[in-house]
Amino acid sequence: MERLRRHPELQAWLILAIPVIFLLIFFMAPLLIVFVYSFLERGKYGGVEWVFTLDNIRRVFDPLYFKTFLRSFYIAIVTTLITLGLGYPLAYFIAKSPPNRRGALLFALMIPFWTNFLIRTYAWLTLLRTHTGLINVTLMNWGLLSKPLPLYGNDFAIILGLVYGWLPVMVLPIYAALERLDESLLEAARDLYASSGKAFWRVTWPLSLPGVVAGSMLVFIPSLGAFVTPAILGGGKSLMIGNIISNQFLGAHDWPFGSALSMVMMIAMLAATLIYFRWTKKSESSL
Amino acid sequence: MSVPARFQSNDRWQQIKSKMGGWSLTTYGILAFAFLYLPILILVIFSFNDARSVSKWAGFTFDWYGKMFKDGQILLSIWNSLFLAIVSTIISTVLGTLAALGLERYRFRGKTAVDSMFYLPVIIPDIAMAIMLLLFFNMSGIGFTPWKVNFFGARLAVPYSVIIGHVAFNTSFVAIVVRARLAQMDRTLEEAASDLYANAWQTFRRVTLPMLMPGIVGGALLAFTLSLDDFVITFFTSGAGFNTLPVRVFGMIKKGVTPKINAVSTLMLAVSLTLVVISILLSRRSGDGDSVQMGF
Amino acid sequence: MTETYAVELQDVVKQFGNVVAVNHVSLQIRDGEFFSLLGPSGCGKTTTLRMIAGFEMPTSGAIYIQGDRQGYRPANKRPVNTVFQNYALFPHMTVAENIAFGMEMRKTPKDEVKRRVAEVLDMVRLGQMANRKPKQLSGGQQQRIALARALVNRPEVLLLDEPLGALDLKLRKAMQIELKALQEDVGITFIYVTHDQEEALTMSDRIAVMNNGVVHQVGDPETIYEHPADRFVADFIGETNFIPVKVVSLAPEIVVELGSGEKVTAGWVEEGLSVGDRAVLSIRPEKMDLLELNEKPSNPSKDTALVNGKVTQLVYVGTDTRHTVALGDGTEVVVRLQNIYIGEEPWEIGEDAIVTWNAAHARILKE
Repeated sequence: MERLRRHPELQAWLILAIPVIFLLIFFMAPLLIVFVYSFLERGKYGGVEWVFTLDNIRRVFDPLYFKTFLRSFYIAIVTTLITLGLGYPLAYFIAKSPPNRRGALLFALMIPFWTNFLIRTYAWLTLLRTHTGLINVTLMNWGLLSKPLPLYGNDFAIILGLVYGWLPVMVLPIYAALERLDESLLEAARDLYASSGKAFWRVTWPLSLPGVVAGSMLVFIPSLGAFVTPAILGGGKSLMIGNIISNQFLGAHDWPFGSALSMVMMIAMLAATLIYFRWTKKSESSL
Repeated sequence: MSVPARFQSNDRWQQIKSKMGGWSLTTYGILAFAFLYLPILILVIFSFNDARSVSKWAGFTFDWYGKMFKDGQILLSIWNSLFLAIVSTIISTVLGTLAALGLERYRFRGKTAVDSMFYLPVIIPDIAMAIMLLLFFNMSGIGFTPWKVNFFGARLAVPYSVIIGHVAFNTSFVAIVVRARLAQMDRTLEEAASDLYANAWQTFRRVTLPMLMPGIVGGALLAFTLSLDDFVITFFTSGAGFNTLPVRVFGMIKKGVTPKINAVSTLMLAVSLTLVVISILLSRRSGDGDSVQMGF
Repeated sequence: MTETYAVELQDVVKQFGNVVAVNHVSLQIRDGEFFSLLGPSGCGKTTTLRMIAGFEMPTSGAIYIQGDRQGYRPANKRPVNTVFQNYALFPHMTVAENIAFGMEMRKTPKDEVKRRVAEVLDMVRLGQMANRKPKQLSGGQQQRIALARALVNRPEVLLLDEPLGALDLKLRKAMQIELKALQEDVGITFIYVTHDQEEALTMSDRIAVMNNGVVHQVGDPETIYEHPADRFVADFIGETNFIPVKVVSLAPEIVVELGSGEKVTAGWVEEGLSVGDRAVLSIRPEKMDLLELNEKPSNPSKDTALVNGKVTQLVYVGTDTRHTVALGDGTEVVVRLQNIYIGEEPWEIGEDAIVTWNAAHARILKE
């Protein structure tokens, strides 16, 4: 006991031992396996041959697959921008509501988020499907359309599904930043002859940037790695990197290539995260 | 009166302008919430549709719910989901709380590395995590051995790999929520306890733990919800033939859209809603007004 | 050791990394004393208190409580209790549960706990609050509960870390009196940390003035105020004039030369100064007086300093008026004159004056 008390480091490791060992075995080891597999040859029926090769990494950059990679980036970026465009005013609206109503509005925002993602995607499937979706069926019944709109099985459907799925995650950090904002700063800006528009761009927006950046990261990363949304709303035609990865395990039985794809994807995300931290640090120091 | 007309009209204009700003913001707010809720609402409505279609209304019926509760596969997947969520929540709450205590309360060499390790499962997309675990279970020989258990009369066979997979991502979420609570906690309270003759264990038991409880409960509820909702990791780590409710729903969607899926969805929605309400009621009860943090 | 002190610190050092928070501090605190640790923030007073409490362990040196060496003994095994700056009341327990906590940990019989909780609540006049949660109490009430929670354990020594810091001025004054009365009543040794000199002067039996981890002076309030041991103490406690001087002679009497060339005698000189050294003459504004040029005594005693100056500023502050006077070399001194004379001609800016004081009040300190 005496020894423990004098050596807090020993105490820390005693407390951390079980969770750390658990994650080392069931998270770090799997991560390592993916890394190692990326450099091995595929086995005949799934599995791997223990022969070193760079072919898998090379194949990731083969135009056939790299195009999907770039498309996934494109979809993730567009999704993030649209979510930001929709989310910022919503966060602003909640932050400007009377304090006694804000809790209820946040609650209302979070309910869809805590609803199963799969179900929310499915809900859009029933609305968007080309011939049997509610939107096209209704519009055609009303005679507003002669042939159905292409709402399903394309990038539009995927982006819509992703925006819908991740909008609350964008709103929360922006709201948190806006809510912290001292009202008297805006009054000071107005006092110093700023119009309400100028006051927004010179005071509110820069001070809410950390929230914007955090929200954007929280939307961008899962959008880039999306699997469920393109699987359901992509209609088997419009695919993202997540689907290509899963195909290597479910259909093609090319584990090393699947591993290489996920490695590159994770590295891309790590890079994005690092840029994010750089950026927040810079924007914080500039404040 | 004596105010020049020019100023009056300017006044009115300013008034209209500021009112319009407020109105357009409110209108936008209403539209945004409509965007969030309409798809879900339509989904629920069509679970009562007296036809196979989910886009043409043909009258009201409870039939799809009846069919759902007669579907043995769905019932089994519900039990699987519940069992999996309960077991993985218990384990990950214990592990996550320990991790939070160790990481928030101590400084030691290699802390940054351990810290990052606990954030990674949150950042990594579930598809990457899923295939990582799939390869690991394949390679390690742990495989997809099921845990055969009788759970409230339902005979379940839940692969250990799925339980471990759920714990692996939930632990980090619990750790983050509990850490946030710990960071807010006033450390002099613990000093006060030791000043009042409490030893390390008594201090933890009587002061730290009760103060931490809202965070732990919040973390557990978050883990439970994430576990119930998870599709991707379960799908890839279960091997063949094991269904949770989301996995079952995914399979059904792939086969074709029917109001029965809407009925299952409505059920899941009701469960999520109940969980959120419970978490909010609990956070109110915890007394000191801090809300239980549900993620992020 | 001949005498057993309530608390004794022997050459205690505390380092945090490279920062020396407490630098070779030795203190003897007597039984039943109200002892204050006074100093600006970051001077090491709180760290000293926390080492006595057992929240921090000294890097070197020894701490004795009632003659007992504490070593690495943790806080829960020390016969002292603390009143924290933010009170540190357990928010999830009622007032009564908070107060009972220490006794419970020491396995005091239940009925005795109950009796003593009631007693101490009576003492701080909050009996009706027993079942409230701390959040439902005002700041002053919380403060009294924190005090009760510590005192109920009948500690050998009570440690108080700026306990009144969070209260507003009026409540603070009231609590100062209450605390002092309480301490005299229960007879427990109090060690009181504060940065408020007035608080320390009014409440304490003895004060240790600290800065940068070092104890500058230990003494009763009057000694500290009237006979500051060095420049820091003189400057930190109350208001003081520092006049740059050069030491001319140390015996048979202390004589210094001002910048203007005028020579004056002084009552005391800090150790380590020798003839020819540059130093400062420290004198309190209320110990000085102003004379008209024609009032200059023809045959002054050698203990009376008479220095020429010119009035440069007047500030009326109610009870007295602060006269700023520039001496021959430009050094400005403040002279406080009480507003008690009726009909007397007030001083005017620009007027020549003679600044005078008694040598006994002048102390020669290192720069």
